[in-house]
Amino acid sequence: MNWAEQIIQTLKNWDTSLIVYVPDISIHQVASLIEADPYFKLVSATREEEAIGIAVGSYATGRNAAVFMQSSGFGNSINAIASLCIPARTPIPMFINLRGGLGEFNIAQVPMGRAVVPILDQLGLPHYVLEDYGNMDSLLNGAMKLCHANRQPLAICLTTSLHGGKVA
Amino acid sequence: MRRFEATQLVSRLAGDAPIVSNLGPTSSELWHAGHRDRNFYNYGSMGLCSSIALGMALGTDEQVISLDGDGSLLMNLGTVASIGREQPNNLTVIVWDNEKWGQTGGQTSHTGTGTDLEAVAKSCGIVHTKTVRDLEDLEAAVSDALSSANGPNFIVAKIDDVGGSTSVAPVEPEQTLYRFRNTFVEPRQPGD
Repeated sequence: MNWAEQIIQTLKNWDTSLIVYVPDISIHQVASLIEADPYFKLVSATREEEAIGIAVGSYATGRNAAVFMQSSGFGNSINAIASLCIPARTPIPMFINLRGGLGEFNIAQVPMGRAVVPILDQLGLPHYVLEDYGNMDSLLNGAMKLCHANRQPLAICLTTSLHGGKVA
Repeated sequence: MRRFEATQLVSRLAGDAPIVSNLGPTSSELWHAGHRDRNFYNYGSMGLCSSIALGMALGTDEQVISLDGDGSLLMNLGTVASIGREQPNNLTVIVWDNEKWGQTGGQTSHTGTGTDLEAVAKSCGIVHTKTVRDLEDLEAAVSDALSSANGPNFIVAKIDDVGGSTSVAPVEPEQTLYRFRNTFVEPRQPGD
């Protein structure tokens, strides 16, 4: 399995069938697999805070949900996470494509990309940055277990060294 | 039409259907209209009421009702497009439209200067839309919506320019989510 297939398998292991996302070229590698798999319902949101709301609604009715977004979109979602997910205790795994690191070509992606992890720390949310494919299976499954045990959002950050990134 | 009386009407018509309510007096009035486990009171996250309801409608086959507000929905109009895109046949959005931001000093909202939320919904592909101005028309619209499986439904309910009619409800987000979700799944056990 490649990295994208590992994520698909982990979502299935944790009975997470509703996936909400805002398109991103690197996330597309996972989203296209999700869209082709009848196990999943893929929902396209117009903005990341909306994606968080949809995911919380799904979880509230017993259907586990995950969110995929880019680091810039994480910036759009912060109040939804802080004022809804954390106080209501909802275990929403967030897969964040982390821009602004190695090989970044766009100056506008750097400040928000570099701020993602410090913001997650300020919110007290667990996060794991995937730099390579090694040990991915146990890390992803461990992260999902922690997410549900803690009933709080958790971030899995995807990087260019994992998926190859976007080339200008 | 006063929002509290309209809320009492919707609560009565809803039966066992989940109701998601916008933050502030909309949630307090829903609690006073009849607290039940299937009321999901928003406490923060302005703008996300109908997004949460959309997620619920995709998570269950049961009818889901969103009690949104004009100011809140204007903050997240994109979610109307998402509802139009997903076409959940079990979702009814009701917008309490007082054409104001009632909680921040009564400033005129965009619906008070010409924005037509029903037209927005129509242009997003939501076929079943209505704007109502009294309890009689609201009852007919909500009854129609809940008795059919041809949603999504989008009802703009013009309400009087009055503040909240009740005291603040004693709602707490973690308990709200926990008891709401437990009407759909078995409660978590230690070690789950």
